[in-house]
Amino acid sequence: MAHTTATDRPIRAARRASALIAAAAVLTLSTTLLAGNARAQSDEKIVFTVGVTTDIDSFNLNVGYTVEAYEAWNLHYPTLTDFTDEDFAPQGALAESWEGAGQEYTYTIRDGLVWSDGEPLTAEDIAYTINRSRDEEWINHSSITANLTAEALDPTTLRVTSSVKDPRLPAIPMYVVPKHVYETVSADDMASHDATKDPGAGPFILTEWKTEQFWRMEANDNYFRGRPAVDEVVFKYYSDQDALVAALQAGEVDASANIDADNISEFDGDDTFTVIYGNQGTFSELSVNPGDNSQGGHNPVLEDLQVRIAIAHSIDRELLIDRVLDGHGQPAATMTPGASPSWDLDIPEDEQYLYDLDRANQILDDAGYVDSDGNGIREDTAGNDIDLRLFILDDATNGEFVEGMVEELGFDVTVRVFDSGQLGTKIAEGDYDMFLWGWTPFVDPDPMLSYFTCDQISGPEEVESGSYGYNDASWCNEEYDELYKRQNQELDPDVRRDLVQQMLKLFHDDAAYVALYKAEDINVFNNTRFGGFNCQPTDTGPMLFTNSSSSYANLVRVESGVGAANCGDRDPNATPVDEPGEGSTPATDGGAEVEIEDSSDNNTGLIVGGVAIGLALIAGVGFAVRRKGSADDRD
Amino acid sequence: MTATTSPPTERLASRRIAWIRRRRALADLWRRFRRDRPGLFGLVVLTLIVFMAVAAPLIADPARFDLLAVRDIEEWQSPNSSHWFGTDDNGRDVFAMFVHGSRVSLLVGLTAAAIAIVIGSLFGLTSGYTAGSWLDRVLNRVTEWFLVIPFLPLAIVLVSVLDEPTLFGLIKPGLGVIVFVIGITSWPGTARVIRAQVMSVKERLYVDRARALGANDRHVITRHILPNVTGLIVANATLTVPITILTESTLSFLGLGDPTRQSWGRILNEAKQAGAITRNAWWYYLPAGIGILLVVLAFTLIGQALETILNPKLRERES
Amino acid sequence: MLTLILRRLMAGVVMILFVLSFNFFLFRVVESDPVGSLYRGRNISAEQRERIQERYGLNGSKPEQFVKYVREMARGNFGYSYANNRPVSTLIREKLWPTLWLVGISTLLSTLLGTIIGIWSAWHRGSWRDYLGTGTTMLLYAMPDFWLAMIVLVWFGREMGWFPLGGLEDPSSDAVGLTKLLENIHHLVLPGLVLTLSYLGEYALVMRSSLIEVMGEDYLTVARAKGLRDKFVRSRHAVRNAMLPVITLITLNFGFVLGGAIAVESIFSIPGLGNATLAASKGPDLPMLQALFLLFSVSVIVMNIVAEILYMYFDPRVRTR
Repeated sequence: MAHTTATDRPIRAARRASALIAAAAVLTLSTTLLAGNARAQSDEKIVFTVGVTTDIDSFNLNVGYTVEAYEAWNLHYPTLTDFTDEDFAPQGALAESWEGAGQEYTYTIRDGLVWSDGEPLTAEDIAYTINRSRDEEWINHSSITANLTAEALDPTTLRVTSSVKDPRLPAIPMYVVPKHVYETVSADDMASHDATKDPGAGPFILTEWKTEQFWRMEANDNYFRGRPAVDEVVFKYYSDQDALVAALQAGEVDASANIDADNISEFDGDDTFTVIYGNQGTFSELSVNPGDNSQGGHNPVLEDLQVRIAIAHSIDRELLIDRVLDGHGQPAATMTPGASPSWDLDIPEDEQYLYDLDRANQILDDAGYVDSDGNGIREDTAGNDIDLRLFILDDATNGEFVEGMVEELGFDVTVRVFDSGQLGTKIAEGDYDMFLWGWTPFVDPDPMLSYFTCDQISGPEEVESGSYGYNDASWCNEEYDELYKRQNQELDPDVRRDLVQQMLKLFHDDAAYVALYKAEDINVFNNTRFGGFNCQPTDTGPMLFTNSSSSYANLVRVESGVGAANCGDRDPNATPVDEPGEGSTPATDGGAEVEIEDSSDNNTGLIVGGVAIGLALIAGVGFAVRRKGSADDRD
Repeated sequence: MTATTSPPTERLASRRIAWIRRRRALADLWRRFRRDRPGLFGLVVLTLIVFMAVAAPLIADPARFDLLAVRDIEEWQSPNSSHWFGTDDNGRDVFAMFVHGSRVSLLVGLTAAAIAIVIGSLFGLTSGYTAGSWLDRVLNRVTEWFLVIPFLPLAIVLVSVLDEPTLFGLIKPGLGVIVFVIGITSWPGTARVIRAQVMSVKERLYVDRARALGANDRHVITRHILPNVTGLIVANATLTVPITILTESTLSFLGLGDPTRQSWGRILNEAKQAGAITRNAWWYYLPAGIGILLVVLAFTLIGQALETILNPKLRERES
Repeated sequence: MLTLILRRLMAGVVMILFVLSFNFFLFRVVESDPVGSLYRGRNISAEQRERIQERYGLNGSKPEQFVKYVREMARGNFGYSYANNRPVSTLIREKLWPTLWLVGISTLLSTLLGTIIGIWSAWHRGSWRDYLGTGTTMLLYAMPDFWLAMIVLVWFGREMGWFPLGGLEDPSSDAVGLTKLLENIHHLVLPGLVLTLSYLGEYALVMRSSLIEVMGEDYLTVARAKGLRDKFVRSRHAVRNAMLPVITLITLNFGFVLGGAIAVESIFSIPGLGNATLAASKGPDLPMLQALFLLFSVSVIVMNIVAEILYMYFDPRVRTR
């Protein structure tokens, strides 16, 4: 039986289609080959790649606020001073040295500095930045410069005066902007200024930023501490955690600070990788509403200190750390005001609110909250079942645990999920019972402490205008406020520390927060590639996304042996080396030759497999098409 | 048939006849359905899963996935005699989560599909019956409008935005919102199909003949149009459920589901977040995916079988 | 014919206006505060606040805002993203191409493969080939695309190591031009594979059933006319008519192309519109969401019109109505 013309058309179309598919298969093969080659060629440049899961939100100093933005600024913009890795002591950056005391300091600026566009960098730029950021209240500067006035006496001399007694001086860790660029930008245009074109003077200069893909920073030949050994730092963005883990394992990135606690066990046993656990003051809390926000909206039983204490006793922090953090954290008794553990308050164990369900239930019984109708839920003084709302963020993993724990007290807990914007609004309105959130403090404790003063509680005008206060404990204590004002201007470090400790004690005793734990920052790097990372603080902190980001300038490529990190005794590969001050020589272990895996080695298997697939595809389609032509089918 | 009103006894008789006819039609339907092997397979699978969902508390104790109750259970266990599907990163029993998760997946899928079918059918019937009129045109535009709105982005926004009970408290945060969102975004397909069918039925001669003989709208709709369209509605309904179930699982996977309940999509989301992929904990992320696959497959097979049986054009081919 | 097309275009314009209004009101219902989003509650002066609100067009009453909104849209000014203060039109332009590439090629491939398998299955209706083809495509249709993505990521990305695991390019490579393009394609293979497999089920099933239906019709006509059963008669119009629903499906799906790959883009870190939608919903970043919605809706409307025109062209019955 002859084929009619009608059958020819679909056959022809199908053949054309299979040709297309075959072409696609070939294309795929060739791209893998070429892509592999492209990578090999770029090995001449020393490139250090960091895997991140959050992109820079904005490189503009007046808009950005993500941790990644700060890291990029730390590398791109110079600061007047920064902090040592050991203990956050102020150290000179642009400033070579300084003298003065109290409210006036004079800094000697390094001579002969230039911006990456060739223009000279002098005390003028610094003075300009201080004065302008103060006048215009630049978001990321004004907490430092609000009370400062600066004057450039000559290109290498800068005088700074403070209108109040500021215990943070002489540290001025503020990003210096190029005057010759910013004097052309008006105040109105500041937030829309394209800062990616700004010249920089830090160890690395931003050269390219493809949003949600990567940003590249190239070594600055004129960096005042010497050109870094690494030629380029690339931050590569992954929106998916599993892809990031696989990328690290495959060598697509050299290090990351964004591997989840759940996944880090993949690297713990692997000698190729070194894992560093650190903390810069990050802590998580269960905030219980004591009711000092006049706008109401909370369950009145929470105003009773005993109830808050009972809730604090019901939290099994060890379980949370074990399950939620996979063991990578420490219990926290109260908030951490500053990045350095030296500010932390040591609370004697018998005064802490340790996990003790029996005690908690006893406290509630004694306080008169009993379950008289036998439905398993305690009642308040009015006879109503106590129902508490727990608000959590959409990425919170500890919510369900806390819900269960508080329910063991005989309260009815309802969980609601919000994003950070919505939750912020609820807090400002005072319309919550409990919520889970966390903070990472700055180096100096002043900002963190200021958040819990009475005037930081939002009122109706703040809610209306959207300019919320920071006090998300909704807690007001006049004694605390008094101490705050005093430490804010106390120049004696010991006296100041004592004042801060008193404040923390008040905060703790009043159960303003139920502090949960200090989660560890998890950093991992491929130690066959790079070494020389600096932890800040050296003994307890992480090595990437630190306050001073000193690792990058210090990195070296590992040719043989194993790269190490200067993190006290937390890196087993590090040999103790005396640090000469600004940045240290990388500690290496003189071990055996380590093979550096090259991804192009996979190509042979790839080619064979790919060709096989391509052939199979073509054969299969061809087979199908041929079969269709013959007309022997049942019907 | 010629009189506009009929004496009571005749009405009773005709009603009885109609009922007998319907019962016979149903038996006939079942006989045909039984012969369709894929459809039968789908029905068996669906029955098993529905049984599992209904009997969930009897099959698996919910305490096996209560975070505090399992505090001493070892995490990440691979399947063994005490945990058939192993445990997750918090020590919860995966099999128990799987069994209980079927409830939400099925419930949301069925309820949302029901909403979609009801709305879609109303639109389709009205629109098809009044084809060509201004009402039809308006309804068409509305249908098209809903088709045009990108439903997943809309779902994402609505779910994150509707955090208070709205629409007279009918839509509560959590499951309510999800059902609402899926329901209102899935009905246009049904509406279109029903409309086309109603229009084609209308064109058939006997409808015009009936009208010429004086039958009113209600008679025409109930006696002629509905019987011919019901089959399609049922078939379409069965085919809408897979869409709603897949949508629910996608939303849950993206983290937009109800955080207080287990659902298969949520299991997959948590598996992913916990690093099951990286750890090769296949027992955590395979079952829920296979569950979704089976339910969707079952409904699709049943729906296709029904479509074949109930679509007159396709039916003729079979002989 | 021309009048029909014009009528359709007019209707399309009306739809777009509807979408614009819907857009505006939907997102105004959402209580989002750009200043809060942008500055995360950091204290800024009332003056700065004013300036920012002015910039985002949030001053004035709702009607005033709407007028300004439409006017700016017409000018192509879609506002500034709440997340990073960059112009939305720039952001969308940057993210448009990865999604178009990814989903466009996947749709094409899945259409081709799907229709081929559909034809193959229908031709051999009832045989084991039919069962194989239909079985496979049904399985693929029933699989959630994000689940398939997870499996593909593990198997081809990590275990086999054949393809990169995320992004669009290798940041440290200096490739340009054609090599760069090949690099991009290399990165898109895995997500493309997932989407192709996810979509092809629908095409295969529709093609198969529509072909069977058409074959059935003509079979009967010819059989009645010839008075015998002729297994080997295929109508000249069999496949062509069967293509109608498929063509409609393809063109409609092209319209949904832009919004279709959210989960897959997220898993493979593709910086496209899907990922952007997900990110924008956390905030929420109103200007971005509005522009994305508009874009998705307009593309569907446009492809709807194209589909209807194509339908009119291919099906003479419709034309004469």
